[in-house]
Amino acid sequence: MTMNGSSAPPPVEVAPPPRHRPPWPSGLQANGSLGLGVLAAIGLLVWVGVNGYKQTLLVTAATYALIALGMYIPFVLAGSLSLAYGAYASIGGYAVALISTETRLPLWFGWLIGPVIAAVAAVILGLATRRLSGFYLVAVTLLFSEAFQNYLSNASFTGGNAGLASFRNLDVFGWYPSNEQLIIASAAVVCVVAFLLNRLRLSPWGIVVRSMREVPSAVEAAGTRVPILNLVALAMGAGIGALAGALFTQMSGSIQPDTFTLNLVFLAIFMPIIGGTGTPWGAVLGALIVVELTLNLPSLHTSGTLLVSLGVLLIMLVAPRGVLGYLDTGRKELMRALTPTKGTDG
Amino acid sequence: MTDPQLWISAAELGCFFGLLALSYYVVLAGTGFFNFAVGPYAMVGGLSAAWLVLEHGFELWLAVAIAVVATMALAAVTELAVVRPVQRRSGRSELPALVAVTAVLFAIEQLAGVIFGYTTLPGQELLNIQPITFGTSVILPSDLLLGIVTIVVFGGMALWVRLSRTGRLLRAVGDSRDAAALLGLPVNRIRLVAFVLSGLLAAVAGLLFAPKAGVSSTSGLDWALSGFLALVVGGTATVWAPLIGGLILGALQVFIPFYFGGPSLSYLLLVLAIVFFAFRPQGIFARRVRV
Repeated sequence: MTMNGSSAPPPVEVAPPPRHRPPWPSGLQANGSLGLGVLAAIGLLVWVGVNGYKQTLLVTAATYALIALGMYIPFVLAGSLSLAYGAYASIGGYAVALISTETRLPLWFGWLIGPVIAAVAAVILGLATRRLSGFYLVAVTLLFSEAFQNYLSNASFTGGNAGLASFRNLDVFGWYPSNEQLIIASAAVVCVVAFLLNRLRLSPWGIVVRSMREVPSAVEAAGTRVPILNLVALAMGAGIGALAGALFTQMSGSIQPDTFTLNLVFLAIFMPIIGGTGTPWGAVLGALIVVELTLNLPSLHTSGTLLVSLGVLLIMLVAPRGVLGYLDTGRKELMRALTPTKGTDG
Repeated sequence: MTDPQLWISAAELGCFFGLLALSYYVVLAGTGFFNFAVGPYAMVGGLSAAWLVLEHGFELWLAVAIAVVATMALAAVTELAVVRPVQRRSGRSELPALVAVTAVLFAIEQLAGVIFGYTTLPGQELLNIQPITFGTSVILPSDLLLGIVTIVVFGGMALWVRLSRTGRLLRAVGDSRDAAALLGLPVNRIRLVAFVLSGLLAAVAGLLFAPKAGVSSTSGLDWALSGFLALVVGGTATVWAPLIGGLILGALQVFIPFYFGGPSLSYLLLVLAIVFFAFRPQGIFARRVRV
């Protein structure tokens, strides 16, 4: 046996796995839910109209929905719970704010750079805990949120506790969208992200990620590096969270270190559980429900958040599939009742 | 680092974090997961006693008794009504338990805000003696009581885990739930004991520490993190390891802001956590199993 590499046996060529079509028509399923989502979004936009309060409410709902969607890949698909989404959203928001106030760069650059920085932060936090149980990730992401908020309050270039305000208008290559157009765009962004995540969930990559949550050892044994997959999921989620922050900051015109609170992050964990973890649209529905209960119902002013947190415990115990899961069951029951059985067809 | 007053503060914080870490340790030993609701338990212990005395004029010791019992009940409810049903359905994976515990943490915080209000209440002094002074330093009665109770609790716990039947069963159930169930050990009862004991420890910690800086419905999350870090730094090799971790963390919490300014503390805690998680997640004192 020589040390010469040429005498070593050639590496075994592993045939790529045949591309099975999944048993369900994935495109059809994803497109169908997109249609429903867009219809709902149009309905909401009509309801909002030009009412300023309702517009704020819709932007808040879109922000919540995007943060919940950011949690969807790492939390629901990959099974890693990160609580740094307040910090990720702040990164996205401050990126837009700083690009607007400190530089002459085009504003969309801030929308781009925020998610990248947030993704890098998520990877660093994930690396420290990549072989540990999920409890360690929760702890380190909470500590990161506290440290980051502390940093934002004390650094000079972030404006300290007062934060930053009065930004330039968003221009997309010379086109300055109006406020109404931006609100429509917020709803559209949520729909697009939910649709893309749904496609991702049904893609081969999504199936690997979901298998990793259930049986990580099997996925590892099949040659996929589970820790890397987890880091990718965390980074994607952080990027979407930063997008949420950018959206909210752009629309509200100011940002402070405590704009994205830890309460919001806890609520964002609950949104997919409330709406249903089966599809990303559940996170969007959950966000709408949470906004309605905590912000829009004056009778629940202080106890809305309590109601949501107790409601989530109840849902986890008695209805783990969430609202959409039950609607889907209802739809299937209805279809079965309406479709004539084969026997009677002859 | 020569001012004895700073060391007294460090020891006080260390005892508090040590008790919280011990509260984590009991549930960890019995069930294998970290019960983040420990911080909110301590908050309920301290806040409900202060609320009963200040807002409703209860006798101090009656209020303390109610607070401790309520916290233990809260811990029992966590296990019976949330964690056990969720784990029964989800089987082996840890995420559902983690999410359930996180939801419990948040729900307790919200519930406490609605019931006790959102203001910070001063903790109740349990020991009415003169502060002990030596030189320029002062040991407050609350510090003294916290220190004594911590030593008694840890000593008692070490004996309990080693000598009592329930204590040994606790470790057996925590090591392997399936094996313990197979041997016919009362797994569910042992887990419930672990939770109730953890609630008791947390309530004591919260009651004794509340006089230091007051307690509000949002104190729980920070306390949960501090207790977790103390346990991770100390390790789980012996019952005393959480106390060592707590004392190290307490010293850092006092001396780092003293020398480097307030904001540096949160940065340092983050760095400490990342370093420990990445390189020594089993803590300083780790149990080695010979095979």
